[in-house]
Amino acid sequence: MKELNDGKPRKIKSVRPYSFTLEEDTTNFGTYVKGGIVTQVKQPRVLNFKPLRAALKDPGDFLLSDFSKFDRPPLLHIAFQALDRFICEIGRFPVARSEEDAQKFISIAGNINECLGEGGVEDINPKLLTHFAFGARAVLNPMAAMFGGIVGQEVVKACSGKFHPLFQISVFGSKLQKNLEDAKVFIVGSGALGCEFLKNVALMGVSCGSQGKLTITDDDVIEKSNLSRQFLFRDWNIGQAKSTVAASAAVSINPQLKIEALQNRVGPETEFVFNDDFWENLTVVINALDNVDARLYVDQRCLYFQKPLLESGTLGAKCNTQMVIPHLTENYGASRDPPEKQAPMCTVHSFPHNIDHCLTWARSEFEGLLEKTPAEVNAYLSNPSEYATAMRNAADAQAKDNLERILQCLEQEKCETFQDCVTWARLRFEDYFVNRVKQLTFTFPEDATTSTGAPFWSAPKRFPRPLQFSTTDPSHLQFIMAASILRAETFGIPVPDWVKNTKMLAKAVEKVIVPDFQPKEGVKIETIETDERATSLSTGSVDDAAVINELLFKLERCRNNLPSGFRMKPIQFEKDDDTNYHMDLIAGLANMRARNYSIPEVDKLKAKFIAGRIIPAIATSTAMATGLVCLELYKVLDGAHKVEDYRNTFANLALPLFSMAEPVPPKVMKHRDMSWTVWDRWILRGNPTVRELIQWLKDKGLNAYSISYGSCLLFNNVFPRHKERLDKKVVDVAREIAKEDLPPYRSHLDVVVACEDDEDNDINIPQISIYYR
Amino acid sequence: MNGEELTEQETALYDRQIRVWGADAQRRLSKSHILVYGMKGTVAEFCKNIVLAGVGSVTLVDDREVTEEALSANFLILPDENLYHGKTLAEVCCDSLKEFNPMVHVSVEKGDISTFGVEFFGKFDAVVISCCSLAKKKLINQKCRKLSKRVAFYTVDCRGSCGEIFVDLKDYKYSKKKLEETVECQLEFPSFEDTISVPWKALPKRVSKLYFAMRVIEQFEDAEGRNPGETSIADLPGVLKLRKELCETNSVNESQIPDALLERLLMDTSEYPPVCAIIGGILGQEVIKAISGKGDPLKNFFFFDAIDGKGLIEDISEPKPVS
Repeated sequence: MKELNDGKPRKIKSVRPYSFTLEEDTTNFGTYVKGGIVTQVKQPRVLNFKPLRAALKDPGDFLLSDFSKFDRPPLLHIAFQALDRFICEIGRFPVARSEEDAQKFISIAGNINECLGEGGVEDINPKLLTHFAFGARAVLNPMAAMFGGIVGQEVVKACSGKFHPLFQISVFGSKLQKNLEDAKVFIVGSGALGCEFLKNVALMGVSCGSQGKLTITDDDVIEKSNLSRQFLFRDWNIGQAKSTVAASAAVSINPQLKIEALQNRVGPETEFVFNDDFWENLTVVINALDNVDARLYVDQRCLYFQKPLLESGTLGAKCNTQMVIPHLTENYGASRDPPEKQAPMCTVHSFPHNIDHCLTWARSEFEGLLEKTPAEVNAYLSNPSEYATAMRNAADAQAKDNLERILQCLEQEKCETFQDCVTWARLRFEDYFVNRVKQLTFTFPEDATTSTGAPFWSAPKRFPRPLQFSTTDPSHLQFIMAASILRAETFGIPVPDWVKNTKMLAKAVEKVIVPDFQPKEGVKIETIETDERATSLSTGSVDDAAVINELLFKLERCRNNLPSGFRMKPIQFEKDDDTNYHMDLIAGLANMRARNYSIPEVDKLKAKFIAGRIIPAIATSTAMATGLVCLELYKVLDGAHKVEDYRNTFANLALPLFSMAEPVPPKVMKHRDMSWTVWDRWILRGNPTVRELIQWLKDKGLNAYSISYGSCLLFNNVFPRHKERLDKKVVDVAREIAKEDLPPYRSHLDVVVACEDDEDNDINIPQISIYYR
Repeated sequence: MNGEELTEQETALYDRQIRVWGADAQRRLSKSHILVYGMKGTVAEFCKNIVLAGVGSVTLVDDREVTEEALSANFLILPDENLYHGKTLAEVCCDSLKEFNPMVHVSVEKGDISTFGVEFFGKFDAVVISCCSLAKKKLINQKCRKLSKRVAFYTVDCRGSCGEIFVDLKDYKYSKKKLEETVECQLEFPSFEDTISVPWKALPKRVSKLYFAMRVIEQFEDAEGRNPGETSIADLPGVLKLRKELCETNSVNESQIPDALLERLLMDTSEYPPVCAIIGGILGQEVIKAISGKGDPLKNFFFFDAIDGKGLIEDISEPKPVS
């Protein structure tokens, strides 16, 4: 079917996972032999906009959806109508705290409700209406109603000269304003979201009271590409700690703000900073993070300490917000996106079929050549005898591999001049894009078949072809330039200016003698997804030990030839510096490999995007996300709201689309007459023994078979040895096994118990807090 | 594409956003000129967003003095009297905005915007006005429309928990990404005056009540010769009276504009910072879209109400006979 090889787009139908049908007559085509790669393209389509008249008849354009059945309480409508009538009849607002006016108001409301008949409410709730009447003049506002407080206080007068978000006092009442001011808030992250949050909370007066405290933490420093949306930072702040700079900028917006800036990453390793006391004192936590792992960690902490967590994130023009409120909503980690797909290692190593695979390979080669190997060399050089002992003790394939790489770096491929670096780069080119491909196609020729007789090189595998190095190909030369410059950097060799002159560089490359390559028989190449660890961590053999000894002997000889104190400089990949040649090398590696496999190449910007895992970001969606979260912050700090009051949002400013929904309540687990959610904890007092704990659960119809504390297993009924722990106190077992001193202020420990019911079904029970004093 | 390449400095600074809208859109942005009138909290948010995005220039017009109220939702004005004493709102905001992005030229134009001639507006690619009376909105919109080049026109207003954006892009051609390919689209926008004179009866029932409520207050302020925002709850009887008249003229039921909604709008004339951030974010993105010619624009009203958290797009246009 050579007719299909013309590269023209063809219409297809009946698309299935492994097949599709061509929408054309192929009866005159030749016979299909084998192989062939199909690429999906989408044909442009002309869109017809509806004429206005039709659009008006069918207004399908409302892009909003509110999935909740949320309606402002009908009572409030009645209250407002009553207020309207009150003003009409009496000619003024109800006087604050006037019982008489309130009574009058309630009777008007009652009349209105009666007139509504079916549409009225069952109970006009005189108490609420009294509050309504009391506060009508001052803070009467559905906003306030929504924020729970029909607050019957007089408007707090402005203290002049002091900056206050005055409007909020008149709008929300002084109680909520006081809650805002005295809130203890933890903002995790001081990037784009963090900056916007700080500005908002400063304007809202959050944590501005004497009791208030805002803690912000971020372990990152400011860099250039941050400035286009992290607006609290300036050019001259580049290199400074994000949290500190942002905090002082926020204080200049509102000098009353009580803020502390920390530079700690939040995680298990900083629990001495963010300790129990810290978490317990918080009112609310706001995530301003850029990765899922940190979000999941903060979520677990909030779950444990029962703190509300306001979560948000952006991706390009999209943003989403999620409210996590103790006992009302599910936690952040309860519903998760599927994990990112990763290509199998053999695909990356030998059978790439798209540019992502090539870039993944390029990243890993970059790391191996420029970071790991030099670091390994330094590890050896800084303490040769200790290193040698460690390798002899390990005596495995990995030890051998490490030593081989060090030796290669210090012996065969040692660079002393820049010309050596050029030679190295040229030989790497030959190895990567010529020899390896020759070896691969020697082991698996184009007509090779698998054990079942099917062609080996069938889709998605692409058959590779070696490159022919040429100094007239600019991308070849660019690869040599980037590779030799970075190689020189690891050896501390100065980079001469001529390297940037293509003619001079070409001349230098032509001096390199490239040995001929002969593919070898019997080379093993991974072709199926195997457990990497199983192959690479194969057990050591006698051979390995002998080889390691010989390698160490050679290394020792090499070391004596090195200048004293010689160290290499490992290079860490940094995507954002355009002058460091890192991305040039990665793009070069990936694109040359793409050429081997006839995969379309990418430019440096796209390469950086994929290899650097850069998340596109703009200021507008960030601003919007934080605005939406801060509206929810009012509700959280006001307290006592129902789940229906909260909103999760998803918006896409590019479409534009705004949609919101009530948060999802937590999953309720049931057993017998008990029910609980992820937010619950069971408490067992009186310093019980393991047996007592098991019995306590047994009484609930739960058969405990395993008890753990953190990552330590305290008891499991499959281990006969654990039987002797049954009559020990749980806390003593924990002390013994976890080898951990429980802090003196602590009076309980939390254990996780795995249970089954009488029918052997696993029951997911809450954590149990065991009180031992 | 045409036009000069982005400088190295621009590429470095705008890296993350170029990945959203592309180098071509960034080039158009950096050559665009924006006029802004009425420096309220929402407008401050908007200005921050477009200055960070890297437009060519922003010109601010607002000769009013800095007041306590201006301080409370506008983060561009730092609460230090020494910094703002003797300066107009536009001048203070200009000082702050300049620092956000040295590559954007931020300046102040003094004077009464309604006296500026048509050719003045011709210097800009987008005009954003806030705190304007009905007459002023119509006038400036007309001047923008008189120009042969397209000047994107926006009004934005926030009253307490509610916000409104109006968009007029005249004849607007743009491209949008649909799956893998880019399609060319065209939209025709009515002027502000034409939009608000569409008979209410002709509008679909589902049109946001906020639309009508905002028009009533706008007309009330116009009739009374008030500045926007000067109307308060004390004016409720007058506003209700006007609602009755307008509803009768338009033969729609008064329930289309609930009392409670009008009261709420009259009660809080000040802005809420979170609402400013939301509206300022949306408006920022809309202006960026109009300049870059990429993506579906809002047509032609947007409403946000913090009470229910809803954001609504309403297409308010005169039904035209199908040709």
